[in-house]
Amino acid sequence: MARVLEHDGKEILKKNEIQIPRGTAVSNPEEAKQAAVRIGFPVILKALVPAGKRGKAGAIKLVHNIYEVYKEAEKLFNMEVSHFPVEQILVEQGVAIKKELYLSIAIDKIERKPVVIASSEGGVDIEEISRKNPGKVKKVHIDPWSSFPSYKGVEIWSDLGFKGKVLRQAAALTTRLFNTFKKHDATLLEVNPLVMSEDDVLVAVDVVLSVDESAIYRQPELKNIHPASERAWRPLTELERHMVAINEEDPYRGTARYTEFDGGDIGFMCGGGGASLLLMDALIKSGGRPANYSEVGGNPPENKVYGLCKGIISKEGVRGLFLAHNITSNTQINVVARGVTRALHNMDINVSVFPVVVREAGTHDAEGKKIFEEAGIEYHGDDITLTQAAQLMADKMRQVYPDYDQWGDN
Amino acid sequence: MAILVDNNSKTVIQGITGREASMVTKLMLDYGTPVVAGITPGRGGQSVEGVPVYDTMKEACNNHNLNTSLVYVPPAAVLEAVLEAVENKIHTILIVTENIPQHDVLKILDSAKNNNVRVVGPNSVGVISPSEHCKIGAIGGDNTERCFVPGSVGVISRSGGMTAETSWMVKRAGFGVSTSVSIGGDALIGSTPKSLLPLFQNDQETKAVVLFSEPGTSFEEDVADYIAAGHFTKPLISYVAGHFTEDLPEGTVFGHAAAMIEGNVGRPSSKRKRLLKAGAYVCENFDDIIKHLQKILR
Repeated sequence: MARVLEHDGKEILKKNEIQIPRGTAVSNPEEAKQAAVRIGFPVILKALVPAGKRGKAGAIKLVHNIYEVYKEAEKLFNMEVSHFPVEQILVEQGVAIKKELYLSIAIDKIERKPVVIASSEGGVDIEEISRKNPGKVKKVHIDPWSSFPSYKGVEIWSDLGFKGKVLRQAAALTTRLFNTFKKHDATLLEVNPLVMSEDDVLVAVDVVLSVDESAIYRQPELKNIHPASERAWRPLTELERHMVAINEEDPYRGTARYTEFDGGDIGFMCGGGGASLLLMDALIKSGGRPANYSEVGGNPPENKVYGLCKGIISKEGVRGLFLAHNITSNTQINVVARGVTRALHNMDINVSVFPVVVREAGTHDAEGKKIFEEAGIEYHGDDITLTQAAQLMADKMRQVYPDYDQWGDN
Repeated sequence: MAILVDNNSKTVIQGITGREASMVTKLMLDYGTPVVAGITPGRGGQSVEGVPVYDTMKEACNNHNLNTSLVYVPPAAVLEAVLEAVENKIHTILIVTENIPQHDVLKILDSAKNNNVRVVGPNSVGVISPSEHCKIGAIGGDNTERCFVPGSVGVISRSGGMTAETSWMVKRAGFGVSTSVSIGGDALIGSTPKSLLPLFQNDQETKAVVLFSEPGTSFEEDVADYIAAGHFTKPLISYVAGHFTEDLPEGTVFGHAAAMIEGNVGRPSSKRKRLLKAGAYVCENFDDIIKHLQKILR
């Protein structure tokens, strides 16, 4: 899944005939000022970052006059919201609010159907509305094969107590939103609040659009929008970007995911998807302090193994290397061994004072064992379990660094 | 006896002429799986490892008695491939392909449900029943016996690699597997752990089930409810990985795509609690699987 920034999401709604506030995205305080004058006060300034809860983070400001705009915009540009630097802000017309509503379409993973959720309350989390006022929330599942039956939209809003012109308007908007959700392979399309203005017009004041990364190939309109991946809670670090580059040099052979941690002293080079979770838990439980998370697998070529291993060890404070995988059926252990030993050699690492533990079993592991052992590295195959390998790693750290358990106290 | 696949799994491979699919065809045939046909539109009349290739499923079904399909086509073609298999009365469909658009997966699962078809995957490495000498998919590679030997333990895992490692742990404990199922790493999958439990319950060969779990989804919570309701009465041994993810800021996904925590559902700690309360054998360490199996199956 990938989250589309608010202004891009709103542009898509606009194209699908859903009303949004007049607004524009700007890149500096001066542009913000000019945009505000064009739009007319009051305006709302919103930091454009791929994260939720911006209101609570102080990343949304209501501005009443020209004197405040520059100053408030400058403040926003100097902020970090949920670890994301603010590179753009959205300057938007302030809508006079009569009532705030809620409307979203999502994929219900339990029912395995698209689900429409609507509420006559809005502006706060839907979870909170559901808890406090379950009667004011409607949830309707839609057959994945069918288009949205327009009577459903009427039913939903009628059940929520709407009548007349507003009812018809809300129903039509629900159909358009559902069609947009389907058309763009969205996984979530949430309008919160959906504002009923003083003159009874429904306006999508805040929009969250997440699209399915697996479907981008058939979404030409989304190709120029660069959605932020939802796999991380902050922007990529320099080392993470470096690792992505190494992975993409040869994108079709082997996969590598690397997440840098704050602190830690053991370079963690493990896989696959399930085993890396297990190994991380086991290593921490044994008293080890991983410096990163990684998931490396799918038979990577030697150069990729080499690049990743160098990257993992290059992080400041890394004093050991843990290389382990579940028993694999396709990854060639001899290739892994060549890549890792070359990286260690290249970085002048003396394995008698830099603990390395290997647990690799799979294709060509006899040759792999030989390569590791000739380089003076402790090798294990399927003679030990994953849990035992993690324990060995922590023990080896303690053996080489007798005060290892005290490091963390500093 | 076993579940899902056995020596009567007359298998057709959709997308058989692809590089990986033809490699897997050989691995399956070598192991003993009855692979009888393949489909690649436009390649009808050719053969892969001696298996005849047809343009359509209809033609393949006219020439052979088929009941199981292995889907190896690219993501954009999976929906159509599954619909073709469903229309031609294939009752078990294993989807290897990953990164299928989610809106397509919703349609796939809906069609399967409405037609009583069993889907395993997407993103499954395969299913194997060693006593039947049958495997569907790449599971086990060219050294199947290293991890998978016949026995009485069922294995379920989202991770393909951990399907192998867990089955190897069963072997290390001195036992073997009835059927091991790699259910796939996505949240939207055809065979959830709960949906497999009635099959293992009815399978006389299976004496216990090991479930390897990860953060995200409500699969384990559903299993716990199912056990607590008395529907599954055999011992279930559970290991939940990924505790460290609870200490990291929300919004981080590690490992498989399905790791999405909604409220408190999906947290490894709550999964463990629920399973423990339902009467499952919950392992502190992965190695405890051996201890539990030796106690239960002695």
